[in-house]
Amino acid sequence: MTEPHDERSTGRAADADDPVWLAARLAEAQEQLAATREILSVLARSSTSEADVFEAVIDNARRLCRGQAALINLSATEGYRLVSAKGLPSEYAAFAADHLVPRGRGTLTGRVAIDRRTHQIDDVLADPDYNLPEFQRLGGYRSIIAAPMMVDDEVVGVLTVWRTSVEPFDEHSRALLTTFAEQAALALRTVELFSELEARSAELARKVDEREALAEVGQAISSTLDPDEVLTTIVEHAVELSGADGGSLMEYDEERGLFRVRTTYGTSAVVRTRLKTVRIHVDESFVGRAASTGIPVQVHDLAEVELDPHLRVLADGGWRSLVVIPLVRPDRIVGALVVRRLTPGAFSEETCDMLTAFASQSAIALTNARLYEQLELQRRELATTSQHKSDFLASMSHELRTPLNAVIGFSEVLLERMFGDLNERQADYVQDILDAGRHLLALLNDVLDLSKVEAGRMELDVTTFPAVDAVQSVLALVRERAAAHGVEVRYDPAGAPDQITADELRLKQVLLNVVGNAVKFTPAGGTVTLRVWTDGPEVLITVSDTGIGIAESDRSRIFDSFQQGTRSASSSEGTGLGLTLTRRIVELHGGRMWLESELGVGSTFGLALPRQEQPGPVEGWTEPALDDARRTVVVIEDDPSSAELVGVHLAAAGLRPVPVRTGEEGLAAIRALRPTAVVLDIHLPGMDGWDVLSTIKADPALAATPVVVVSVLPERGRGFALGASDYLVKPVSKEGLLGAVWRALAERVDRTSERRHAVVIDDDPAALELVRATLEPQGWTVTTCSGGAEALAVIREVNPSVVLLDLLMPDVDGFEVVDALRADTRTAATPVVVLTAKTLTAADRHRLQGRIEFVASKGELDLSWLATRLTQVAAGGATGGAS
Amino acid sequence: MTGPSVLLVEDNPRNLKLARDVLEHAGFAVTAVGTGEEALPAALAARPDVILMDLQLPGIDGHAALGRLRADPETAGIPVVAVSAFAMQADRDRAMVAGFDGYLMKPISVRDFPAQVREHIRAVGGAP
Repeated sequence: MTEPHDERSTGRAADADDPVWLAARLAEAQEQLAATREILSVLARSSTSEADVFEAVIDNARRLCRGQAALINLSATEGYRLVSAKGLPSEYAAFAADHLVPRGRGTLTGRVAIDRRTHQIDDVLADPDYNLPEFQRLGGYRSIIAAPMMVDDEVVGVLTVWRTSVEPFDEHSRALLTTFAEQAALALRTVELFSELEARSAELARKVDEREALAEVGQAISSTLDPDEVLTTIVEHAVELSGADGGSLMEYDEERGLFRVRTTYGTSAVVRTRLKTVRIHVDESFVGRAASTGIPVQVHDLAEVELDPHLRVLADGGWRSLVVIPLVRPDRIVGALVVRRLTPGAFSEETCDMLTAFASQSAIALTNARLYEQLELQRRELATTSQHKSDFLASMSHELRTPLNAVIGFSEVLLERMFGDLNERQADYVQDILDAGRHLLALLNDVLDLSKVEAGRMELDVTTFPAVDAVQSVLALVRERAAAHGVEVRYDPAGAPDQITADELRLKQVLLNVVGNAVKFTPAGGTVTLRVWTDGPEVLITVSDTGIGIAESDRSRIFDSFQQGTRSASSSEGTGLGLTLTRRIVELHGGRMWLESELGVGSTFGLALPRQEQPGPVEGWTEPALDDARRTVVVIEDDPSSAELVGVHLAAAGLRPVPVRTGEEGLAAIRALRPTAVVLDIHLPGMDGWDVLSTIKADPALAATPVVVVSVLPERGRGFALGASDYLVKPVSKEGLLGAVWRALAERVDRTSERRHAVVIDDDPAALELVRATLEPQGWTVTTCSGGAEALAVIREVNPSVVLLDLLMPDVDGFEVVDALRADTRTAATPVVVLTAKTLTAADRHRLQGRIEFVASKGELDLSWLATRLTQVAAGGATGGAS
Repeated sequence: MTGPSVLLVEDNPRNLKLARDVLEHAGFAVTAVGTGEEALPAALAARPDVILMDLQLPGIDGHAALGRLRADPETAGIPVVAVSAFAMQADRDRAMVAGFDGYLMKPISVRDFPAQVREHIRAVGGAP
C-alpha cells in the first residue's frame, strides 16, 4: 500500500510539469468529489430507507472504479445476501436471489468480512483458494475488489466491484471503494438509528397519551365531587387507551364478599342492567378470584372457557375477551376494573401495565367516592338531627314556660299580698318558690341562647351606643343585690371610650353575668370593680373581685357548661351556663375572654371586644345611628323574589325587613310594628301602592314614616307628590336601595331630633342647675360655663343652637361676651338669650338692641315658657328684640 | 265603678286562673274561654275592652281565632293582645304582622301585667 504513495511522491516534480497528467488528476478528483457529494446528499435525504443510498453508492463505485458490475451483499445468518446491484447479468441476479454467498476464505466477500479490510483478486480463475464457481460462471468476472461495510466495529455487508477481464484495480480504486463502503455502512447505521428513534417516539407518544389520560382522570378525581363522574371518566379512558370496546368498574363490598358494577362504558343498556344485578362473589366468580390475585388476569376467548353467571352475561352480550385489573388499596381489595373486547385475543403487556396504572387511580377514586358518600349521608343525618334539636328546644321552651308562668305568677301574687298578708315564714317560703322558678326560667333562656349560638343562629344586632349607658344599666341591676350581700360595686371610668360598637342587649347580658358572678362570690365587706378602657384596636372590660379566688385546676374548666368550680360554696343560683354563653357571645363579637385568679385574693374576668370602625359615608349617604327598635323596615312587595332581594340587602345593612305581600297587610304591619321605614311596590294585588302611600301619608300617626317606592313604573313625579321619600325604578341596585333608605331615615332622624344644644353661662351654680333641669328633660343638650372667657371657647367649639347668658359675671361680663360673639364670623349668627337678675337700663337695652333674641328676668321666670321660647329660637322661629 | 272588661282565651286552667285573679284584683271585669272557637261568640256576648289570646290552643289556634274576630264587624275593633309562651323573636314578629295589637310573653310579670293590658285599651281609646 506504500506503492501509490511512492509513485506520487517520486513522480511529483516531473509530473507537475506535465499539463495532461495534471488535468487528468484534477478531473478525477472533481469526479470523486461529485460522487461523494451525491452519495452524502442521498444519505441526508434518505433516513427511512437505505435502498436509495445503496443505489447511489453502487452507481458511483461501478463508474469510478470502472467495473462492469457493482453489488452489495449484507450479512445474513448463513452467509451474505445480495441486496443491491448494478450491471449484473440477469442469470446471476436470479441465482443470487436464491443463494447466499457463503462465509469463509473461499470467497472474496468472506475474506473481506474476516479480515475487516478491502481486498482484491487480480484473477479469480488464477486463485486456487477462490471457490465460488457457479457465481463466477454466471457473472463472468475475472478481476474483483471488495470493501467491508462496518457498523459498530462489525462487518454488516460487503461492497464489491468486478471486471470481466483480468485487469486488476489500482490503489486509487481501492481507496475509493473503501470510502463508498463506509458511506453505505453509514446509510445503514442512519436508517437503523432512525427506525429506533421512530420506535422510541411511538413509544413516547403512547406514554404521553397514557400520562394525559391519567392526568385527566386525576383531574376528574380532584375537580368533581360526583363519584360516578370520576369512575366513568376512568373506565372511559381505560377502554379507549387500551383500544378495547367496553369496560366496567366494580366496587367490592367486603362485608358481603360481593362485587357490584358501579359504572360501565361502551356497554349496551341491556348488558349494563344485567351486570348490575348479577351476583359476582369474590370466591365464586372468575372476576372475584382474579381480583384476589392482585395482578391482571385475562380471558382470551370467552367462547372457550367455563362461564360463571357474570361471564355469561358478557358472552351473551357478544363480548369475547377481557382483562381483569384488581383495584387494591394497601392490602385491601376495593374493586376491579374489567376491560373487554368484542373480538377474541390477548391484551398486550403494555396494555396491562397501562391499565394497572389506571387501577391505582381508580382505587383512590373509589375510596374517595365511598368517603364522600359517607360524608354526605352523615351531613344529611346531622342536618336532620340539628333540625330535630331545634324543634325540640322550641317546644321544650314553650312547654316549660307554660307551667313556670303559674309558678312564678302565683308566687308573685302571694308576695304582692294581693289577697291578704303572709307571715314571715310563709313569705320566706314563697320567695324561695319564686327564686327557684326564676332560676328555672333563666336556665331555660340560657339553654335557648346557647343552642342558638351553637346552631350558628344567634344574630348580633350590632349598633354603636354610649359605653356609659351599658355600664350604668348593668350596675343599677346588681347594686341592690350587692348591697344586700354587703359588697361594694365600683366603676372605674378612667380611659373609657365614649362609644362601644356591639349588640347592646347581648353586651349587657354578658356584663350582668360577669358582674353578678363577682358579687355572688365575694364575701361581705369585699369589693367588685368594673373597668372599661381602650387598648389599641380593642375595648377592654375587666371585672375584679376580692372574693375567694378560683383554684388553678378549675380555671380552664370555668367557661365550660355547668362548671362553677369549687368556689360555689353554698348558694349556687347561677344556671351553670352563664359563663359558657358569655364567652360564646363575646367570641361571636370577634372578641375573647380570660381569667386571672389567686386563691384567697380574688379573681379578674376580662373581656376584649374589637373596636369597630364607624361606617363611613358611602356615595353621599351615611347610616344614621338607630336603636334596636328602629331597625324594622316593612317591605310591601307581591313578587317573592323581588321581596327576598330587597330583604337580603336590608338585612345585610343591619336592618330588619318584614315582608308582606299586599297593601292591606302592609298597612296592618305598619300600624302594628311602627317601622322605621317602608319599601313599597306599586303594582300590588288588591289595594295598589298609590293607595297605600296615600293612606300612610293621610294618617297622622303614620305620616312621618319614610316610604321608599320601588316600582317598574317610571312615575317619580306622582310618587313624590304623594309624599314618597324616594322613588326607585326597578331593577334596583343594592347601593340605590340602601342609599334611598338611609337618606329617608337620616331626614327623619334630623327632623325628629332637631338640634337642641344650649350653652348656659352663669357664675351661680344653682342657676346653671335650674336651666339644665328645665331643658334636659325636653331633649336639650346643655353645656354649662361659669365664666365669660371659658364660654367663648366652648361656644366656638360646640356651635350651640342657642346661648343663655347672664349679664353679671366676675371676669368677662355678658355684654362683652355678646360683643365678642358678634365680632367673630363663626358665632355672629348664634342666637343669644339673656337671662339675668339685673334690671336693664336704657343704655343696657341700647347696647343689646338687635344683637340678642330676648331678655328673660330670673326673678319672675316661667320655666316652661322659657323652654318653649328657646325651642322656637333654636328652630329659627323667634323674632329678635328684648322683652 | 266598673273597671275595664277583658276576655281571656286560655286553655291552661292554672294560667287562666292566674291571669283572672291578677286582673280581677286590679279591677278588671274578666270573662274567660278555653278554646279559639269560643272566642268570637264570647266577644260578641261580652263586648270586652280588650281580648287576651293564648296562641297555642286546642282546635283553632290564636291566629285563626284572631282572624274570626277581625272578620266580624262587631268585634273587628276590639284590641287583641297575644299572651304566649313562644319565646322567639320570629314568633313575636309573626303575631304582630298577623294583626295582634301587642305581644306579652309568659311568664307574665304579675306586678306589671294589669298596666300592660290597660295600655292596649288606652292605645285604642276604648277605655274611659
